[in-house]
Amino acid sequence: MSNNKYKLLIVEDDRSIRCFVQTILEASGYQVLTAERCQQGLLMLRSHVPDLVILDLGLPDIDGEVFIRTAREAGNAVPILVLSARLDERDKISALDLGANDYIVKPFGTGELLARVRAALRTARCKNATGNTGHIFVQGDLVIDYDRRQVRVDGVCIHTTQTEYNILALLSQHVGKVMTYSAIIQAVWGTMDDGSTKKLQVNMANIRRKLGCRPGDNRFFVNELGVGYRMLDAE
Amino acid sequence: MARKQRILDGVFTCLILLAVFCVNLLLQNLFHTQAMTPMLFVLGVFLVSWRTQGYFCGIAASLASVLAVNWAFTYPYWAFDLISPECISSAVVMLIVAIMTGILTTRLKHQEKLKAEAEKERMRGNLLRAVSHDLRTPLTSIYGSCCAMLEHFDEIPREKQHMLLEDIRSESQWLNRMVENLLSVTRVDADAVRLAKRDTVLEELIDALLVKFHKHYPAQQVLVRIPEEFVSIPMDPVLIEQVLMNLLENAVFHAKGMTHLWLDVEPANNQAVFRVSDDGCGIPPERLPHLFTGFLDSKAPADSGRSNMGIGLSVCSTIIEAHGSTIHAGNRPEGGAEFWFALEMEEACDVEQQI
Repeated sequence: MSNNKYKLLIVEDDRSIRCFVQTILEASGYQVLTAERCQQGLLMLRSHVPDLVILDLGLPDIDGEVFIRTAREAGNAVPILVLSARLDERDKISALDLGANDYIVKPFGTGELLARVRAALRTARCKNATGNTGHIFVQGDLVIDYDRRQVRVDGVCIHTTQTEYNILALLSQHVGKVMTYSAIIQAVWGTMDDGSTKKLQVNMANIRRKLGCRPGDNRFFVNELGVGYRMLDAE
Repeated sequence: MARKQRILDGVFTCLILLAVFCVNLLLQNLFHTQAMTPMLFVLGVFLVSWRTQGYFCGIAASLASVLAVNWAFTYPYWAFDLISPECISSAVVMLIVAIMTGILTTRLKHQEKLKAEAEKERMRGNLLRAVSHDLRTPLTSIYGSCCAMLEHFDEIPREKQHMLLEDIRSESQWLNRMVENLLSVTRVDADAVRLAKRDTVLEELIDALLVKFHKHYPAQQVLVRIPEEFVSIPMDPVLIEQVLMNLLENAVFHAKGMTHLWLDVEPANNQAVFRVSDDGCGIPPERLPHLFTGFLDSKAPADSGRSNMGIGLSVCSTIIEAHGSTIHAGNRPEGGAEFWFALEMEEACDVEQQI
């Protein structure tokens, strides 16, 4: 019966966090495996092939980043959701750049955790189904037509520059995932220099203006301060 | 830095010795006596040892003084006579003066440092005391609610259970914000060097802030007025976000009768002025002078309710000071309180053209 359930692996050394995350996820219909140590986690990753990994970075035996690197080097594309503390942005960025899909800041609520899990699973599923994302991206009132390179909000066509379109398309292809500044810059411009982040930020400001986003009422994407941008998932 | 100091010390030593030498020459020509000579040189050595770092300059000055006295002001004039007992004894006296002054000054400096450290330690102690008290209040509520739930699970009616759980949730959220404040303080405290300053887009900062604020206070509307154009300000975004969050929260908790809450950012003279204002009850004038340091010196009774706001505001002022600015508080003439601070903006450069 549990065959059609998603299998999630939690790698976390703190018993009570592990316990409540497990409770929430099981209550939401996921099958949950748990590991306390990095080594154990890697073993389970290989033997049980979970659909998603929830990973704490501060593990007692080996740093969680090693887990990400090992998994990615082995060619494992399983979505990894990192649990992180608030202040260490550098950790977040390096975890994301190593190949983690998303992070969630401790302490977190049930809703937040479940939303991230759903988003990560959906992104992975889309990729598996078509090899690429579809020809069209819809998120609420925002429509991105990849064939015509066109962006529409509330049915109205928005004029974007090449760069702005490329950024939007990139974010939408990784919907629900935080894209770090450097990842976006690499993908859009190819090279990175001192002014790149600024260039990206100016472009993002223009995109926000064109899509009619107001501070605090950003329907389409989230600013992860100092880290990058995340296209919101239509739920 | 150290090298620059050494050069300055050397220049100072030379100037003092030169001055003493000239004054001595002058006096000798005026009064035809040398009674003052050694005294003036001792004064020079004392000044040098007092104002310079370490012993080197003092000792060098004393040796130079001995030579100068020997050369110019004792018989035979304008010639050295280094083996006379007078010369050796005056040299010894000068050296002793230089070394003793050096020791005294070093000790004095050391004591000043100790005093500053003790003061810092005292502030830390006060902070810790205030914090542990503040942590205990929500913890008591969380612990109590959990115990009640666990031990009387069947007797407590469902709605009551729900209420207890809601309390646990809101109290732990409050605890978390408190801990965030503390983390910010420890990050800034260590000589303000760990500021992760980077160019931050104003619009993104305000957006992230409002999203966070609305998560905690969905009912409270914030009226935002920021410049339309692209503004980028060098700052530690996490910490400045925290400052603004504290100020907004402060208004929610303390501005009784508030109907409007404003957040404005205005560019002025290459500075961005951030202003959080409300039309609530305002701040009692007697509290204004101690608003940002209040809890540190407060002799308030140990259970005077929550003082997180006191801590929150002092966190704000610490963070803003670490950014090289000052935070201000006041009452608006129309009623209500306002808080403001200014951050340096980066040099205006036209990025748009590079794209």
